Order: sequence, then structure tokens, then C-alpha cells
Amino acid sequence: MLFWLIAEVIKILIVFAVLLLAAAYLTLLERKIAAKIQNRMGPMEAGFHGLLQPIADGIKLFFKEDVIPADADKFLFLLAPIIVVIPALATFAVIPFGAPINVLGHIVPLQITDVNIGILFILALSSLGIYGVVLGGWASNSKYSLLGGIRTAAQMISYEIPLVLSIIGIIMIAGDLSLANIVSEQSHIWFIVYQPVGFIIYLIASTAEMNRVPFDLGEAEGELVAGFHTEYSSMEFAFYFIGEYAQIVVNSAVIVTLFLGGWQGPFLPSVLWFLIKVFFVVLIYLWLRWTYPRLRYDELMDFGWKFLLPLALANIIVTGFIMILINK
Amino acid sequence: MEALFYVFSIIAVFSALMVITMKNPLTSALYLVLCFFAIAGFYVLLDMQFLAAMQVLVYAGAIMVLVVLVIMLLNLSKIKKIKTDLHQLFIAVIIFIILFAEIALYIINGSLKKPTGIYTHALINKIGNTQIIGEFLFTKYIFPFEVASILLLVAIIGAYLFAKKKY
Repeated sequence: MLFWLIAEVIKILIVFAVLLLAAAYLTLLERKIAAKIQNRMGPMEAGFHGLLQPIADGIKLFFKEDVIPADADKFLFLLAPIIVVIPALATFAVIPFGAPINVLGHIVPLQITDVNIGILFILALSSLGIYGVVLGGWASNSKYSLLGGIRTAAQMISYEIPLVLSIIGIIMIAGDLSLANIVSEQSHIWFIVYQPVGFIIYLIASTAEMNRVPFDLGEAEGELVAGFHTEYSSMEFAFYFIGEYAQIVVNSAVIVTLFLGGWQGPFLPSVLWFLIKVFFVVLIYLWLRWTYPRLRYDELMDFGWKFLLPLALANIIVTGFIMILINK
Repeated sequence: MEALFYVFSIIAVFSALMVITMKNPLTSALYLVLCFFAIAGFYVLLDMQFLAAMQVLVYAGAIMVLVVLVIMLLNLSKIKKIKTDLHQLFIAVIIFIILFAEIALYIINGSLKKPTGIYTHALINKIGNTQIIGEFLFTKYIFPFEVASILLLVAIIGAYLFAKKKY
């Protein structure tokens, strides 16, 4: 019992530290990739090739003056950035990041907890991130923030439906909601082979859920200054960024677990496989951002409701038919 | 486990009280979200993880987001003076008495009953509660399930028609 408790605490601390560090260094990676795509150098000053840039940014943001608008709802204004970060970090509790290891005669699964409704846990938490954006936009008491918040809310509600439906194919094939079992089901063949359409829908819908380009209508710089976080400064502003980048890591980890075989892979240690796969999915997200221009608002809604949603439903029906035909 | 039950109870009752006493409608809505979380906690304590996830996903994650959005769009100014009406008071007292009598009746008559179905606690944990709920929804309760889905479809079409009429 005591051993289990210590193991859990150590796992939680490691996951927490790695996630926050990854979120910080993703800002550097994003800037470097943007620079590569636009044929620039990116940050070069702080450390070797800008390696200390995230730390310098963090220190700078920490010491900046914290401005709260006079008419803002202070409590909600401070609460909103926290609501963005917590669900993103908590989602990682159910994601298996390695094969079970043997420590001092005990088998320790490399997953904080294996809930029997793992996928639903992830979906439930990801549906809460929307509060941070909406409340931040409302509490700032600024018209740009409010417009950004309302746009984001409408967008996230619309894209959450295809996001959830795209996973149902996986659940049907695996016959289980536990992520550990879904990973072990993929020991022979990755689910992306059975569910290529589901994978694409999840990739697009999760980009929209994270409000990233081409779906960053909530913070469209050209129209809304900075959208829902216009009035934020200092650490609260940094929290929005930590939340966004932590969400990228978490969504990549979810994609790896559901579609790309989780931690499974030959030769290398399982944790390393997991990290490599997550890194590649993160690269896809960053690549998407610097390749596509922003959609117009009506295009965004049309795409979500008239294309992604029917496609996701068709995917479920086709999956069902094929499963009956081959008698699985 | 019992300590957790009391923690969730205190949160649930406190947040429910705040929902009806807060002046700002948005704060009330957020306390309602907290209340849903506490109820999800009860479901987890009862080994009904599926219901807990659904409680958060559907109520806290979808329905309350819409409620918060509507409150934001309505732009309610602060209520200056609450209008009190004698009729309201009268109705409220009657409803309170009925509800209180109901609770009292339950407490007096209620005793620990043994579960009657074939699904014991151990069996549910073995099969998984999601599987059992799914099986029942698609076999024994297929008719109410389908009726409910048609009802929701009608509601969607109705809402669409009402919104479309305006322009």
C-alpha cells in the first residue's frame, strides 16, 4: 500500500514536471518551426540557438506588472486562466506513457491511473477548457474580449461533436473505454489503419478545440486585437499560453494512444517510443498552424456542421457495417 | 470513503445554496457547475463511473456552457431592487411544505433495502458499468431509448424552425 502510494506520487510529479517543461519548450519549438517555414532563424540570442528563450520569457512575464481592468469581474478574471490549465494537466492522468515496469518486485504500470472509462474522462475534461476562454472573455469587460469569448464558445461547441464522434469508431473496434486496454489491442496493428477518417477528423476537430490557426477565430489578431485574452497581462497571460501548449501535448498524447499504438514499438524502450510519437504529432500541429490561413467565420461553421459532422456519422455507420460483415 | 461522501455533500449543498442566493446570474451558473461536479463525485463513490463522466460531459461541459453563453449575451444589468410579491411568497411556502414533507416521509419510512436484481456490486465491477448500461439501453429499454432520441430530434427541428422564422 505504501509502495503504491509512493509510486503514484512520483509518477504524478514526473508527469507534472515534464508536461510543464514541454509546454514551455513548445513555445521555442513553435518559433523555430515558424522561422524554418518562413526562412528565418528564429530566437538566437538567449543561450545556444535560443535554448534559454522559454526561461527568459517566463522570468520576464513573471516580473511584469499585473494589470486588471477597472471594470473587470476580479474573481472570474483571475479564475479563468487557471480553468484553462487544470483540465489540460489533469487529462494526462489516464494516458499510459509506457509499458509496465518492475520496481523492487512490484509491477508498476506507467500510467497514473487506469480508469475503466478513460476515454470519457478525457472528453469530459476537454469539454471544460471552454469555460476558461469564455469566462476570461466575459470578465475582462472589453468588447474585443467578449467577442472573442463568444466566437470561441460557439466554435468549441460545434467542433466538440465531431471530436467525440470520431472516437466512437475506436471504441467500437476496441470494445473498451480503458486506455490501457486500447493500447494493448493495438499490439498487432495500429488503429489508424482501421480508422483513417476518424484520425483526420480528430486531428482537425482537436485543432479547432485548441483555438489554433486555421481555427483561431477567438483571437483573430486582425479583427479582435488578441481576442479573449486582450486584457490579460503578466502571469495570467502566461497561464493561457501554458494551457494552450499543454493542450497540444495532451492532444498529441491522446492521438498517439488512440490511433498510433500508444507506447508500443520495437527495439527502443516504450517510454521513448511514446515520446517520439508524441513529438511527431506535435510537429503536425505546429506545421498546420504555419501553413494555413485563418478561416472566415461562416466557413468555419459550415465546415464543422456540414462537412465534419456528417463525415463523422458516416464513419461510425461504415465501421459498424464492416464489423458486422467480417463478424468481429 | 465515508469521509469523501461528506466532503461531496458539503460542496453540493453549499454550491446549491449559492446558486439561489447569488445576485449575479453568471456566478450562480458557475456554482451550479460546481454542484454538478459534486454530484459526479457521488456517482464515482457509488461505482458508477460512466454516469459520473456523463454528468460532467453533458451537464457541466455542454448544457452549462450554453447557459453561461446565454447569460453573457443577455447582458443582464445588476438587479437594483428585488421585487417581492405576496403570491410568490405564498406559493413558495406551499412548495416548501410539500418538499419538506416528502423528505421527512422518505427519512421515516426509508430503511436499508437489499438489491433485488441479478447485478450485484461485484458483477457490475467485473463486466464494467458502461457495458451493462449499453446492454440494457439496446435490449430491454430500446423503446423508451428510441422515443427519447426522436423527441430530441423533434426539439432540434423545432428550434431550427423558430430561429429561421425571424428572417
